[in-house]
Amino acid sequence: MKKAIELKEVGFAYNKKDVIKELNLTCQEGEFIGVIGPNGAGKSTLLKLLCGILKPRKGKIFLYEKDIGDMGHREIARLIGFVPQETHFTLNFPVEDVVSMGRFPYLNPFQRLSRQDREAIEKAINQATITEYRNRPVNSLSSGERQRVVIARALAQQPKILLLDEPTSHLDLHHQYRIMELLDDLNKKGMTIIIVNHDLNLASLFCGRLVLLNKGTIWATGSAREIINTRTLREVYKTTVQVIEHPQTGIPQIIIPRKEQTYETDK
Amino acid sequence: MALLIGPAKIDGQIIQLRISRVVLGIFAGGILAFCGGILQGLFGNPLVEPYTLGSASGAALGGSIGVLIFGSVNPFLAFLGALGVGFFVYTIARLEGGLFRDRLILAGVVMSFLCSSLVMIIMVMGGKELYEILYLLMGYLGIIINATNRILIILLILISLIIVIFLYRFHRELDIISQGIETAAGLGIDIQKLSLIIFFSTSLIIGFTVSIVGAIGFVGLIIPHISRLIFGPKHLYHLPASFILGGTFLLLADTLSRIITIYELPVGVVTSLIGVPFFIYLYKK
Repeated sequence: MKKAIELKEVGFAYNKKDVIKELNLTCQEGEFIGVIGPNGAGKSTLLKLLCGILKPRKGKIFLYEKDIGDMGHREIARLIGFVPQETHFTLNFPVEDVVSMGRFPYLNPFQRLSRQDREAIEKAINQATITEYRNRPVNSLSSGERQRVVIARALAQQPKILLLDEPTSHLDLHHQYRIMELLDDLNKKGMTIIIVNHDLNLASLFCGRLVLLNKGTIWATGSAREIINTRTLREVYKTTVQVIEHPQTGIPQIIIPRKEQTYETDK
Repeated sequence: MALLIGPAKIDGQIIQLRISRVVLGIFAGGILAFCGGILQGLFGNPLVEPYTLGSASGAALGGSIGVLIFGSVNPFLAFLGALGVGFFVYTIARLEGGLFRDRLILAGVVMSFLCSSLVMIIMVMGGKELYEILYLLMGYLGIIINATNRILIILLILISLIIVIFLYRFHRELDIISQGIETAAGLGIDIQKLSLIIFFSTSLIIGFTVSIVGAIGFVGLIIPHISRLIFGPKHLYHLPASFILGGTFLLLADTLSRIITIYELPVGVVTSLIGVPFFIYLYKK
């Protein structure tokens, strides 16, 4: 097993306010990690630090044993594909052009797409199953379809690691499921994946390991069975939930109870 | 051609004068439209134009001061004004941390307001010179062609050609930035560096252009839109098209400005007059 990502005492602050505090984390190649935690816990900041969008104030981040501070922007982009929380397309490019932009880290300004580039684009389009609307303008798609286009763009980068910031928020059940299945599939083929997800049930079901962030530090990490329990969730989310077992897999799933009073009146 | 250059059989000096004006028109229009396209791409904002970042207002202010001192517009003072204001905009945008790009627009707009106030003061103070300043603000291609100005025009063409070709290299970056800063950063684009490069190089050639022909409106704002409507969103295609369309369009507008009325209208008036209906027509299609 190779270490894909390693964080050593990483700290980050926005305007003197600490968002990430002395964080240590190692991610092995081929892991599927779900980063969970309340709003403002530093989840998105963590992802942005990993892909070099933000630079750590303290500590070091290593990608395949190489210090990220010594790597060029494009070099990082060839290793890590990043899918941001939301993508607005201010220019209405055709889907295929959007996916082609994933080849940017490999291209010189006026270089045309090589056969290798085209193959990577084709593969990404097939993997994300967006073939049927590859020629349509991207803004004519639904948000679920658009999200898959964005993932295809990240896949066209041919990264070893895929980072996704809440890839399933704003999506309906069908598209949530399809995206998670797609990620699961990619992971089984060897891709290292880290996602930030607010949906604890989805994250528990699909991610091999969960990292629970709270106030900029790792509160708990481990499989869903190890860390999803009423006590931990109450400590972090200040909410009392009920934890039950998934009927098929036995993985913990949370149920949000209602107050006794309201429950009675509903009856 | 006869229409552009004028009636045949006139002496060489007039032909030379007219040719200078044609060349100046093509380049000024091209530079403004190209920079407009680049800046709209960088900011992901369709309302940004070459004058948003302040160097043009600086040129107008410098030019107006020149009118006050020398009685006529002085390109050197105008260019000095452009550089000065550009520097101020840079400093203001740099005051706090965070993304330089996102502060540039506000810094540019604030400095533009300050400059126009100062220009207004000068206009109130000046009497006869009002007319000169008005033409500077509206744009006018009929710069007097003497030895110095000819060198200035040649210099403008050379410098702007180099910068335009240099900036064209970033067509892919601009395509990607249309999908947001984070997407761009995730694909390996250094936004901070790119914003600095684009800010300085466009400010330089826009300031230079305005110093010579005044603040011709409309071309830098709408021509990139027209170009995108015709050639699609890829900067690889619509940027050079913007340059060519902008140049042709300004040349046409200038010709019309000279023949519509018995007065020679400021070309900036004509650009909007004929450009807006054309834009609406294309937009509807």
